[in-house]
Amino acid sequence: MSQGLYACAWAAEFPAQALLRLRTDWQTEPAVVLDGRAPEEWVCSLNRLATRMGAVAGMTRLEAESMLGLRLLKRSAESEAAARAVFLECAAKFSPRIEDACAGDTCADARSDEARRPAVCAFVLDIAGTERLFGPPMQFAERLRNELAASGFRASVAVSANYHAARMKAASIHGIAVIPEGAEADALAKLPITALDLDEEHMATFALWGIGTLGELAALPEAELVARVGPQAQRWRALARGEAEHTLAPIEAEFALDEFCEFETPVEQIDSLLFVGARMIDCLAARAAGRALALRVLKAEMRLEGGGSHCVTIRPAVATTDRRFLLKLLQLEIGTHPPKAAVVSFTLRAEAGQQSKVQLGLFAPQTPEPSRLDVTLARLRAMVGEERVGSPVLEDTHRAGGFHMKGFAITDLKGETRSARGKRDADMATSQRMALRRVRPPRHVRMMSLQTLTASFPRKAVERMGQPAMRPVAFSDGENRYEVAAAYGPWKTSGCWWALDGWDSEEWDVLATTNDGATVACLLTRDCARNAWQLEAFYD
Amino acid sequence: MPSAAALRLEIEHALERRFPAALSPVPRTIREVAATGIASVDELLQGGLPVGAISELTGNPSSGRTSLALQFVARRTLEERPCAWVDVQDAFDPESAAANEVRLRWLLWIRCRDTANAGPAAEGGASAPLERGARRKARSSWGRLDQALRATDLLLQAGGFSSVVLDLGDTAPEQANRIPSATWFRYRQAAERTQCSLVVLGRRAYAQSAAAVVLECSAQRAEQASGTVLRDFTFAVRRGRERHAPVEITTRKPVAATWQANAAWDAETERRA
Repeated sequence: MSQGLYACAWAAEFPAQALLRLRTDWQTEPAVVLDGRAPEEWVCSLNRLATRMGAVAGMTRLEAESMLGLRLLKRSAESEAAARAVFLECAAKFSPRIEDACAGDTCADARSDEARRPAVCAFVLDIAGTERLFGPPMQFAERLRNELAASGFRASVAVSANYHAARMKAASIHGIAVIPEGAEADALAKLPITALDLDEEHMATFALWGIGTLGELAALPEAELVARVGPQAQRWRALARGEAEHTLAPIEAEFALDEFCEFETPVEQIDSLLFVGARMIDCLAARAAGRALALRVLKAEMRLEGGGSHCVTIRPAVATTDRRFLLKLLQLEIGTHPPKAAVVSFTLRAEAGQQSKVQLGLFAPQTPEPSRLDVTLARLRAMVGEERVGSPVLEDTHRAGGFHMKGFAITDLKGETRSARGKRDADMATSQRMALRRVRPPRHVRMMSLQTLTASFPRKAVERMGQPAMRPVAFSDGENRYEVAAAYGPWKTSGCWWALDGWDSEEWDVLATTNDGATVACLLTRDCARNAWQLEAFYD
Repeated sequence: MPSAAALRLEIEHALERRFPAALSPVPRTIREVAATGIASVDELLQGGLPVGAISELTGNPSSGRTSLALQFVARRTLEERPCAWVDVQDAFDPESAAANEVRLRWLLWIRCRDTANAGPAAEGGASAPLERGARRKARSSWGRLDQALRATDLLLQAGGFSSVVLDLGDTAPEQANRIPSATWFRYRQAAERTQCSLVVLGRRAYAQSAAAVVLECSAQRAEQASGTVLRDFTFAVRRGRERHAPVEITTRKPVAATWQANAAWDAETERRA
């Protein structure tokens, strides 16, 4: 009876892989990962180049430091958790039924309970029935390994009809192995007996008997073995023969687009930060694209030297997986809002969104390309400031200058239906109104002379004003002297008297002649509370 | 007596080596134009301001430059075309724009500012090298005019904006005259490539030969009602330079036009509309 088909992906030396996968500049150097607390730090994981140099797991920091050219890294639980999620995400592209197979596989020389975190990352996939999707087992294994390699993992893959055979075989090889159904015992025969994860007492017993491989254990008669070692020996023998049964307990892979990187030394340069950021964006985009999604929001969280934190968020107009575009936006955003101290760790979280589809039209007016517009707006914001780029939105108030800025986005505009009204509006002649040019902030002016209004105003109107209004005759703004030819007003405006930012002023439309003989039309206001005159705007 | 055509051919043949087709009329470039929305100005320009070229609106304060530019932008935004307003002195008034029927959602407003206190990097007192670097960069960066020029460059290069208004209306001529000619030629090329109408507001004409059209604006008179209310302005527009005629010229073109802008509160005009 067929037992199904399992593939095990096994990433050894996972602490080192988790730290090096995002640092492409370090991948060509020998590196070891140190665990434990100073001064009793010890090497818990190392890469292949370090092994070639002669480094071994369990070395002390002092011994590792004595090897020239060896890069020493500190183990990071957060990096490993993030890398494990990415590993699982890659595996989940091939099968929905996945079991975590690395429980209990701690560092070779774990010296404390705290250090007993899994030193490998392994998942077993139930791949029964996937042949038509991913091809025969060998092809499947290659595709899975390549997918993991694209995310920065060096993993071995074994395929077998037996769960434990696939797992033990994957742990013992550097590459791909496919075990034909029925040949599990032969495939496992040469594996050392340590693959069974025995306790020290039984290891010593088997060593005394001269049993060193699974093949030798499998060859022992079952009844005699159980009589001498105990009932658990029956399971060990079944494992060694590739006959042990297992009920798969699938885990639910949570889809979270997070990447984390902790730096050995605090990073002070934005370029160095973006060097890692580029690789992170690559991974996030690939993971999102694997689910036919794109990145809608990208949030960069930075832990700073001295305990602070800093966060920037970019929201492209359309969800995208374009790495260069996202990197440029991130660069501009961090450039506009730089962290206040050097960065110790960098986390990139993304929200996935549907990939955008833009329907273009031959007769539609040209509009900026959304991604290019995003970069342009980010550059403009970096140049003039966040709140000084956008579309003005008028507020429902009588206060002068009652508006706020809103982000400019073409995608919002395209959401509006191009109605018949819009076309009709375009055909209509627009109303021609006098435009103002604001003086920001309003310029204080000194009134050279004023004229009482009572002579020219109706008596009732003057009485309503409460106090005699004064008409400006000549004023100066510090640069020019203005002789008033005609003044129209005052137009009283007030509001928010109950609040601190209330206003009460008189407005005058003034035609005046400057020093050089030019005639200008301007808007003067008088703050009634302070009796201060201001030049608010010019008609133009 | 030889006919005029034969004579022309003979002369052209004789001068062929030095002046090819010396007497044949050069085919004129027909350039696309966009209406300003003001009938008299459109008539003066024979259709409107050119698309994919630089147009300059010059004049002193209160000469109607801004109202004319707003009218043009209003027309473009009503056609659901995105426009940009690069504001050197932060003088743009959204209320006036709305009164002129500019669809503000289609307008990107860039408000330049002094760099003395520009940028978030200049705030706070942190001393990390990362921030120090950014602050140094901000300090050595652009003044208002430089910001505006760079912003215009970015918008023209990005493409997709049907018109960009570079508002140098309050910039001193001696300062704006220092803008290199190469900048204006670069703008002209970018505007042509992206089919964007670049409108430059200023006191003088700065773009020199890079500008396709120069309009000189001036105020003619202000109307009042009952001696207490300013009601409307009449502005004059004079054509200073026009490099490309939009259509074949058969009659002499007018050189000036007048138009009227009403006050936003003029109820009588509202009723007429």
